[in-house]
Amino acid sequence: MKHLSKKDACVFLFMALILACAGRHVYADGGTDYLSVTGPCNLTFPKNHGLHAGYRTEWWYYTGNLQSDAGEPYGYQLTFFRSQISPPGAERKWPEPHSAWRTQQVYAGHAAISDIDKKKHYQSELLVRGSLGLAGVSQKSDITTIFVKNWSVQIRSGQHILKAVANDFSFELNLLPVKPPVLHGKAGYTRKGSIPERASCYYSFTRLRSKGALAIDGTTIAVQGFSWMDHEFSSAPLETEIVGWDWFSLQLSDQTEIMVYLLREQGGQLHSASSGTFIDKSGKPRHLTKDDIRIDILDSWKSPRSRAVYPARWRLMIFPLTMELTITPNLSDQEMLTSASTGVTYWEGSVSANGMADKQPIKGVGYVELTGYATAFKAPM
Amino acid sequence: MRNFFFFLRLFIWFSLRDMRKHMGRAATVLLGIALGAAVFSSVRLSVNASLDSFTRSMDLIAGQADYVLTRPGGHVPENLITRLWNHRAIQNVSPVLSTYTRLAQTGSEPFLLIGFDPILDRPLRHWRIAPTTDQKAVVWFDLLKEPDTIILSEPLARLLNREPGDRLLLEHARQRSDFKIIGKLAPEGLALAEGGRIALTDIATFQEFTGLFGKVDRIDLKLKPFATEKDLADIRQMLSESIQLNPPTAARQSGQMMIRAYQLNLSILSFASLFVGMFLVYSLVALNAASRRHELAILRSTGASAYHVFFIFLAEGAFLGIIGWLAAIPLGNFLIKYLLHGVSQTISTLFVRVQVETLSLSVFEICFSFAVTVGISILAAYQPAREAMQVPPKEALEISQLGMRPRKSPRQLALGGLICILLVMPLSRLPAVLDMPLPGYLAIMLLFVGFSLLAPWALQRISDRFSSVLLRRTGIPAYLASRYVRDSGTRTAVSVGALITAVALFTALVIMIYSFRQTVAYWTHETIKGDLFLTSKMGPVNRFRYPIPQQVIDNLQLYKSEADILPNRQFFLTYGKFPYVFELMDMPGYMQYASFFWLKGDPKKIRPMLKRGEGVIVSEVFSNRTGLDVGDVFEAQVEESFVRLPILGIVRDYRTHGGAVFYSMPHFIAQYHPIYWGGLRFFFKDRSRDLDLAVSRLRNQIIDRMGDQVDMFSGKGLRGAVLKIFDETFAVTTVLLLIALVIAGLGIATTLTVLVLARSQQLNTLFAIGASFRQIRTMIFWEAAFLVVIGELAGVICGFILSYLLVYVVNRQSFGWTFIYGVDWNALGMSIPLIIITALAAALPAVKLVFRKPPATLLRER
Repeated sequence: MKHLSKKDACVFLFMALILACAGRHVYADGGTDYLSVTGPCNLTFPKNHGLHAGYRTEWWYYTGNLQSDAGEPYGYQLTFFRSQISPPGAERKWPEPHSAWRTQQVYAGHAAISDIDKKKHYQSELLVRGSLGLAGVSQKSDITTIFVKNWSVQIRSGQHILKAVANDFSFELNLLPVKPPVLHGKAGYTRKGSIPERASCYYSFTRLRSKGALAIDGTTIAVQGFSWMDHEFSSAPLETEIVGWDWFSLQLSDQTEIMVYLLREQGGQLHSASSGTFIDKSGKPRHLTKDDIRIDILDSWKSPRSRAVYPARWRLMIFPLTMELTITPNLSDQEMLTSASTGVTYWEGSVSANGMADKQPIKGVGYVELTGYATAFKAPM
Repeated sequence: MRNFFFFLRLFIWFSLRDMRKHMGRAATVLLGIALGAAVFSSVRLSVNASLDSFTRSMDLIAGQADYVLTRPGGHVPENLITRLWNHRAIQNVSPVLSTYTRLAQTGSEPFLLIGFDPILDRPLRHWRIAPTTDQKAVVWFDLLKEPDTIILSEPLARLLNREPGDRLLLEHARQRSDFKIIGKLAPEGLALAEGGRIALTDIATFQEFTGLFGKVDRIDLKLKPFATEKDLADIRQMLSESIQLNPPTAARQSGQMMIRAYQLNLSILSFASLFVGMFLVYSLVALNAASRRHELAILRSTGASAYHVFFIFLAEGAFLGIIGWLAAIPLGNFLIKYLLHGVSQTISTLFVRVQVETLSLSVFEICFSFAVTVGISILAAYQPAREAMQVPPKEALEISQLGMRPRKSPRQLALGGLICILLVMPLSRLPAVLDMPLPGYLAIMLLFVGFSLLAPWALQRISDRFSSVLLRRTGIPAYLASRYVRDSGTRTAVSVGALITAVALFTALVIMIYSFRQTVAYWTHETIKGDLFLTSKMGPVNRFRYPIPQQVIDNLQLYKSEADILPNRQFFLTYGKFPYVFELMDMPGYMQYASFFWLKGDPKKIRPMLKRGEGVIVSEVFSNRTGLDVGDVFEAQVEESFVRLPILGIVRDYRTHGGAVFYSMPHFIAQYHPIYWGGLRFFFKDRSRDLDLAVSRLRNQIIDRMGDQVDMFSGKGLRGAVLKIFDETFAVTTVLLLIALVIAGLGIATTLTVLVLARSQQLNTLFAIGASFRQIRTMIFWEAAFLVVIGELAGVICGFILSYLLVYVVNRQSFGWTFIYGVDWNALGMSIPLIIITALAAALPAVKLVFRKPPATLLRER
């Protein structure tokens, strides 16, 4: 789900950049093609933590559930999106000399904190072109840095350092991977549509031990907990019949993790490319197909701002694992309104899970992303 | 309420019916008031339209920015943006570049092209692409994606006759570029700046088009809500000394200040029309009060209080004001079509570029115009109303004598007038208040009032003195006329006052415009020297912010044997809020062919010092506006250098848009930093040749060799253009002046008519006792001649004093400059008699009216 979610997120969040995501361009522009994901991704690290120029969209996605020393729960999100606005080779048509502002890359950043006890959701967004040091991705000595303004992620060997500063909140976290990166689908190649080209390369760090500090309205809070990281790139737009997606990432008490993404078609049915991944204690992934998964919506929540109605509680069944979980948002209102950057409205929030796995009680925490419930697709950037 | 209706009925019966009975004179007065009100309102509305257009344009372009980063005379390095944006107190940053560009075809109008980052700019300025019917709607990201793409405002697209998808070949200092139009701006926000003639492009495209790589014109900052003064100080600390951090209002205030000064001047000038109209109201109300004295007494004896009478006449004035104001609406509507264009053109030429497309009516302006018109009408009616309320009821049983007697003697009035005139000089020496020459205007007002108050006494004295001479030389009619004028008191004097005002205004403006033009012509001839001027493409409109291409400069070396080539560079800076140009030039070369128009300082001493780069000379405007004088130190941030040089002298300079400071270019480069050439001028070494032919040949050679890369102007053409602009800027003034004269003419016609009608019985009695029609007409003609000649003489004297005030007080305090005083004797010599003839012609209707009714009827009526 997240896999798709990210790809689709890119598609949605960068609709204007992609220009087509709306179907204006499919893969080619000006006679030159974007690179497309059609087969094995051959992901190696740390190289593939970095930029994948030539692909239309790419994102680095961090979510997590944290607790203060006093046990107060918090959720957070930090996402960097990259969109290539013209295909490889388009730069050959640039005037010479050309301006330092000229670039093919545009970056966006979304950050949020959910203060669960106080029932407050803080969010911020950035959008900027990838030139003049305003945003970009660099790799030096095995250190990958992704930054937009003064928000950044530094991926070192065995450590991810996150920094985000917004008007009313900020955070700085050190994340230590407990498990190695998980390659979703077939060694990272994940289908997102009916044809092989509608695919992306997608991997995750599913359990990152996290420690650091949040600052909310000027108050700094030491926190620790677990995070989840996704990195995905693709050039394929969403299929036209897909209206949105629901993505789940869960970190369970038995030290396993689950990622599920559901592609919703017009009419409500799920697209056949919907799938997921189960990661066992040792970090070994197991691919889940659409038929392995069933999800029932138990409740809904209507946003007072966008008027969108989102699912708000779910029953998730994963048949091969004999697992049944009830997933509940830790805070109803975790809706992201991004009118100043992408113009897309979506729900991205901290959740808790309870249920049974293999006849044993189990619980967990996670993050859920819900898109396509508001009418944000038509919003101009 | 009951009292009000009673008063209203009384007013209708007593005043309105009488006005209807004498429709002609009321209509004339109304026409005068309407003209005055129309001029006053139209001028204010026209200037306001320009002011609104300028302010709106500046606001729209400034957007939501709290502060603006600029480098005086230069550009801001773009690499500052990242550091600034990461500052904790800064919410948004947006780099902005702008330039005027135009279609690469002859004669096309320049328009403003703004280059910015559409992403960073979103929070600061509002603009939107108009939706199209095309499903593949344009998104502004296309600006980033494709080089050479542009979005036009709808008015501009209409003007250029282009649609999205079309191509647009634009030219600029550096090159011509073929742009693709990807959309049109919806008519809102930024699209409304510059009168809607605006185009947007991505900052990358802009830099590639103009060659301004690595730099921007300015960086707009939006601070976070919690930002403090300490944060601001911290931001300033991040900047080099050459970068200035100011609120965006600074540039706007500077422009507004200049437009408001112009508005004040035009308002005062247009108020003169209303002021002259005021005499008309006085004249009519005074006549009514005098000629209906018997009726007033009856009114009083039947129960009306003195205050009823007072308010009836005050209401007459108000009524004339209200109807005159209403009649001004259609007149103003007509007038404003001319003024709107003329005023905006003048403001664009003199101060700041404005594009006025529409006229915005503000409630304040409507109320203000109404209040002023009605207010001065009531004021004009006040004195006659006061006199009317003195009529005792017992006069109802008496036979009326000569009507109202003035309460103050001419001598008393003259004394008051003299005091007013004596106050003029000290007032004119006071400094401006709030940057406005308010003491100067007060002096002008006192001058008019003083001369008007002197009029009755002067009429009395002159008539008295000349009556016996006239009797001997011209006979009885002239003698009677002079005796009548002597005894007629303030009523006659009022029309003379109107004439004095109008003639004074005429004389003063003729002198001022002549002095100004002669001075400017001399300045143009002496200082704007050069056979051929060459600038970068669209250099003047873009304030020479782009260099002459080096390839052009290299090629020009070929002509060095034939002509001296003198480069220059102009930096447009501000001293506080006052704009000025810092001009660097080749001083020795310049002084070989041209000279400055010296005002202060010894040229013999200063010239060598200037050549050695030992100081600057400043324009009179700069000196007056900044208070800096010879011996003071001129300080300015010019690009990355802080310039500090002594002021050696002051010169006259009549360039528009502020003051000027001149310095030696080679010394600037040696002391501060290298600069590019913004313009240059050629002086042919052989001055004996046919220079026109040589200029034409040189121009053609440059075009043949280098193509259409630069703009060129012949010196002769440039000097002609300067004077043409000068004449155009005074077109509005001239129109206002003529209208004031027309109103004065109406005043003369009304007054004489009123005087004749008021004396119908006397004149017919004269006829009945043997006077001939011819004698009576001659007598009235002589009365008119007395009034007109005395009015003109006094007007000319008043005009000379006024011209001094305009040249040395109002102009200096309003615009910073003075001129060499000169009198256009030819123009005055021709026009003054013409005014006399016209004014006498205005008396003809009065002469005709004398015997409209048979004498027997009139005498029987009595």
